[in-house]
Amino acid sequence: MVGQLSYLMLMANQRAEFAKIYDKYIAKIYRFVVLKVSSIEVAQDLCSESFLKGWEVFKQEKIDNPQAFLYRIARNLIIDHYREKGRTQIVSIDGLPIVDANSRIEEKAALNSDLEQIKLKLADLNDDYQNVIIWHYLDDLSISEVANLLDRSEEATRVLLHRALEALRKDVNSL
Amino acid sequence: MQEKELICKIKELRNIKPSQNWVAFNKTKVLGVKPKANWVSVLEFFPGLIYKHSKLAFASLIIFGFVAGAFGFAQGALPGDPIYALKRVSEKTRLAFVSERDLPNVQLEFVNKRLEELNTIAQTKQVKKIAPAIQEFQASISRAAKDLANAQNLDVAKTVSETKKIAEKKHKIESLGIVIGDTPDLDSALLLLIQREIKDLQVSSLTDEQKTIFADAVADFEAGNYSDSLEKILMLSNPQ
Repeated sequence: MVGQLSYLMLMANQRAEFAKIYDKYIAKIYRFVVLKVSSIEVAQDLCSESFLKGWEVFKQEKIDNPQAFLYRIARNLIIDHYREKGRTQIVSIDGLPIVDANSRIEEKAALNSDLEQIKLKLADLNDDYQNVIIWHYLDDLSISEVANLLDRSEEATRVLLHRALEALRKDVNSL
Repeated sequence: MQEKELICKIKELRNIKPSQNWVAFNKTKVLGVKPKANWVSVLEFFPGLIYKHSKLAFASLIIFGFVAGAFGFAQGALPGDPIYALKRVSEKTRLAFVSERDLPNVQLEFVNKRLEELNTIAQTKQVKKIAPAIQEFQASISRAAKDLANAQNLDVAKTVSETKKIAEKKHKIESLGIVIGDTPDLDSALLLLIQREIKDLQVSSLTDEQKTIFADAVADFEAGNYSDSLEKILMLSNPQ
């Protein structure tokens, strides 16, 4: 009897803890996904699924770095999404884009045309270039944290960030 | 565009944010957690409640403050106190805003409050208040039992939690020498609730593990251990 009540209390505590994680990271994961997919509806679905999967794992085991964990889930879901749609060109870190270059983002009202162009060009970059720019400049992750997410050294991550910015700057200036 | 300017522009992409409505809706979908009410937006629906005449407004404020203060003070009142009626009025007012789904569990909360009052009376040896307090407790049990018998889509987890608290508090008060008596109305209502839940589960698809838990729940029910039976039913409704 006591064990069953403890189980109920544990469930309630876990739910409350994950609710805090949700509140803390929902905006970041949402933005991460929006910058990579072609529609807001798809972004919402993938973002929602990221947290649903995160919750399922959270109930089973302790997660040391929820932010990194959620980003990994989101990345994998985006890759799966494009694989299913058959629109992925190559999934690679070797300079080839992961997103269909002709995709259009629907939520333009919040951004002026300059920003809209940067957003589109960002989506044209390869996956690692996109990620390093988003995580460092938009989500304020340190080089060390980004390196951990990318499974690279800090030095390699700094080099990657420099190359990513250079690639984006060239694309933007070519407009 | 230079690198510095590009970085500034990139940072402006922070304006990409999800809508609050979607965030709240999604949270419910992921966790089943209800979003907190935005009281600012609720109050924005009452734009016309500003008095034109300042003296009337001031007088209304004073009267309102006095009434609110009286209700606030009444929250500590015990059965037999002159202002206890105010406490009951505020509880009845709360019931008016409770959904049908939540009504039985709110009534069970009030039963727990009656037991807390009885406990306070017993601890402070206010002998004259014991009889009215027991009457209030028995009346609250009848109301809770009636609403529980008619319950639809009940939050069973909350019901289990409140009935467990009732059992614990009742035992604690009786250990102080105060005889409250049995609660046949509540037991009957719980019996009906469990019968309904068992009937629903009998037609559900259950895994082997769930079938074992269900069999245990039925065994508890037949033995009269209604609280244990409800807990097991709850486990089946909230699988891992």
